[in-house]
Amino acid sequence: MNLLVVILIQASFYALLGMGYVLIYRATRVLNLAHGDLMVFGAYLFFQALVATGGSLTLAIMAAALGAALLGAMVYLGVMRPLASYPVAVGVLATIALGLVLRTIVTVIWSAQTRYPAELLGRTGQPITLFAGVNVSGIDALIIAAAVIAMIGFPLLLRLSTVGIEMRGVAENALLAAQRGINIHRINAFSWAAATVMATVAGIFFSIKVRLGPDIWYVGLAGFAPALIGGMDSLKGVLVGAVIVAAAEVLAALYIAPQVALAAPFLVLLVALWMRPWGIFGSREELERI
Amino acid sequence: MTWRGLPSTLRTDFRDDIQLLDSGFVRFWAAAGLVAALLLPLALTNFWTGVANQVFIAVIGALALNLLTGTTGQISLGHAGFVAAGAFTVAALITHFEAPIGFVLLAAAIVGAILGVLVGLPALRLKGLYLAVSTLAAHFVILVGVGQYQSTISYGSGFTIPSPSIFALEIGSERAWYFFLLPFALGVLLLNLNWLRSAYGRAWMAIRHRDVAAEALGINVALYKLLAFSASTSLTCVSGALWAYHTAFVSVEAFDFDMLIRYLAMVIIGGLGSVLGACLGALFVVVLPHIISILADKIPVLQGLGGKTFDLQVGVFGVAMLLFLILEPRGLAGIWARVRFYFQLWPFKYRAWES
Repeated sequence: MNLLVVILIQASFYALLGMGYVLIYRATRVLNLAHGDLMVFGAYLFFQALVATGGSLTLAIMAAALGAALLGAMVYLGVMRPLASYPVAVGVLATIALGLVLRTIVTVIWSAQTRYPAELLGRTGQPITLFAGVNVSGIDALIIAAAVIAMIGFPLLLRLSTVGIEMRGVAENALLAAQRGINIHRINAFSWAAATVMATVAGIFFSIKVRLGPDIWYVGLAGFAPALIGGMDSLKGVLVGAVIVAAAEVLAALYIAPQVALAAPFLVLLVALWMRPWGIFGSREELERI
Repeated sequence: MTWRGLPSTLRTDFRDDIQLLDSGFVRFWAAAGLVAALLLPLALTNFWTGVANQVFIAVIGALALNLLTGTTGQISLGHAGFVAAGAFTVAALITHFEAPIGFVLLAAAIVGAILGVLVGLPALRLKGLYLAVSTLAAHFVILVGVGQYQSTISYGSGFTIPSPSIFALEIGSERAWYFFLLPFALGVLLLNLNWLRSAYGRAWMAIRHRDVAAEALGINVALYKLLAFSASTSLTCVSGALWAYHTAFVSVEAFDFDMLIRYLAMVIIGGLGSVLGACLGALFVVVLPHIISILADKIPVLQGLGGKTFDLQVGVFGVAMLLFLILEPRGLAGIWARVRFYFQLWPFKYRAWES
C-alpha cells in the first residue's frame, strides 16, 4: 500500500513536469530540453521570494508564478519566435543552448550552494492521514493535489475558455488559426508562460521536499520521458506516462539498484519509442515516418 | 583561369569540379598552412601545445558529429555516449589485455561502427525530434552501462591509462602528442573531404535534403543512413580513444551532458554541414574557455566572479549557440565565406552564382 502511495506521489510529480512539455510541444512543436532549467530558475525565484517575504508560502508561490510566466513569455518571444521557420531540430538545439544560459544565470546570481527552502518555511513535515492507514507528508499531499487540479483544470481550460480554444486551434493548424484572426504569437507566448509556471510549480515542490541547487535540472529533464511515452500532444497521455515511469523508477530503486533508477525513465522511453513511437495517446500523424 | 583565388565558373571536366585544391592560390595557402602547423609547437609553450592537442581530438569528434548531423541531417544527441564508448574500449583493452595503441584504435573504430548500427536502426523508423530523443536515451543508457563496468572493475575510481608507444617511441610529452595527432586529424579531415566528394557524400546530402526524393533517385536510404551512423560513431569512438590516451585517465563523470553540449556547440557555432565549420568550431570551443579564464584573471571587472569562471564558460557557449542559431545559421564557416567573397569580389558586391 505504501509502495502504491510512493508511486502515486512520484507519478504526480512527473505529471506536473510532463504537462509543461506537452503544452510547449503543442504550441511550438519543440521538445523543450530547457524545461529542467526553467524549473530550477522558477524554484530559485520562489526561494528568493520566500526570503523576501519572510517565509510566507502563498505570497512566495504567487510571486514565483508571476516571474515564471514573464520568463516563459520572454523566452518564446526572444528565442523561439525567431526560429519558428527553421527545422524542428534547430529549435531543440536552441532549447539546449537556452538551458545553458539559464543555468549560468542561476549559478551567477544564487551560487551553486545547496539550499533547503523547507527550513525557511519552518515546516516539521507532520504526516497527514490521506485515508485510513495511509500517511503522507504535507508536501506530498500538496503535490498530489496540484497534479489533480492541473489534470482537471487544463482540459477544462482548453475546452471552455476562449484562450484555451484558441490554443487548440493553434495546435491543430497554426496557419488556419492565424487566418481566422488569432494572434498566434500571443497564444504561443501564453503557452510557454503556462508551461514555465508548471515547471516552476514542480520545482517548488521538489525544492521543498528534497533540496534546491542548480544541479536539479536533471530531475526536470527526466520529465520528457512521461510526455513522450504518453504522446507529445496529449495531456491525458502524460498521466499514463507518468504512472508508468514512476512505477518503473520506484520499482527499479527498490528491487534492482538506485543507480538504475536514475536511468529507468530513459530505458522505459527507449522501449516505448521502439514499440509505439507516437506515444500511447499521441496522434499518429505527428510522427513523420518513412 | 582563376582570379584572386576564386575558382572559375567554367568547369570543363567533372574532375575539375571535385578537386580539393582547385587553384594555385589555394594550393599555396594550404602548403603554407601545413608548414605553419609543423612549426607551431616551436612557438607554443607546453600548456598551449596541450590545448592544440585537445583541438585535434575535438576536430575528429566534431567532424564525426558534423558528418551525421550536418551532412546527413540525422540529429544525434548521443555523441558524448559514443566518446565514452571509445574511451572505455581503451580502458578495458588496456586493463585486461595491455593491448598496443594501434590495435586499440582499430578496436575502438569497430566498436563504434557496431554501436552506430545499433543506434542507427531506430533512425530508419524515426525522424527529427523522435530520433533526437532516442539518441539522447542511448546516451544515458551507454553511460549507465560504462558506469556499471567502472564500478565493478575499478571499484568506481576510474582507470589510469599509461602513455602509448609506437615502434618503441613513447608518446609522452605534449610535443610528441602534437606530432602524433596532427597527421591523425589531417587524415580524418581528408577522409571526410573524400567522403563528401564521392557518391557517399552526395547520397548523404540527398538524404538530408529530402529522403523520399533520395529514395526516388535510387539511393538506398536505409543503407546510407546506417553507413552515416556507423562512420560517424566509429570516428567518434576513435576520438574518444585518443582522448583517453591523451588525458591518461578515464572515468565516467567526464562524459556527461556538458560534453554532449560542447560537441553540439562545435558544430553549431562552426556551421552545420561544413567541414571547415567543424574545424573552426572545435578550435573555438576548446580555446575559448582558456581565453575566458585568462581574461578573468586580467580584467578587474571580471575578477569579482572569481571561482565562477567555469559557469561563465558554459553560459558563453549557450549565448554563442543561441546567437549563431538565430543570427548566422551557417556559423563561423558562413562568416568566413562572406569575408572571403567580400575581398575576392571587391569592388563588386556579389556574384551571380552560389558556390
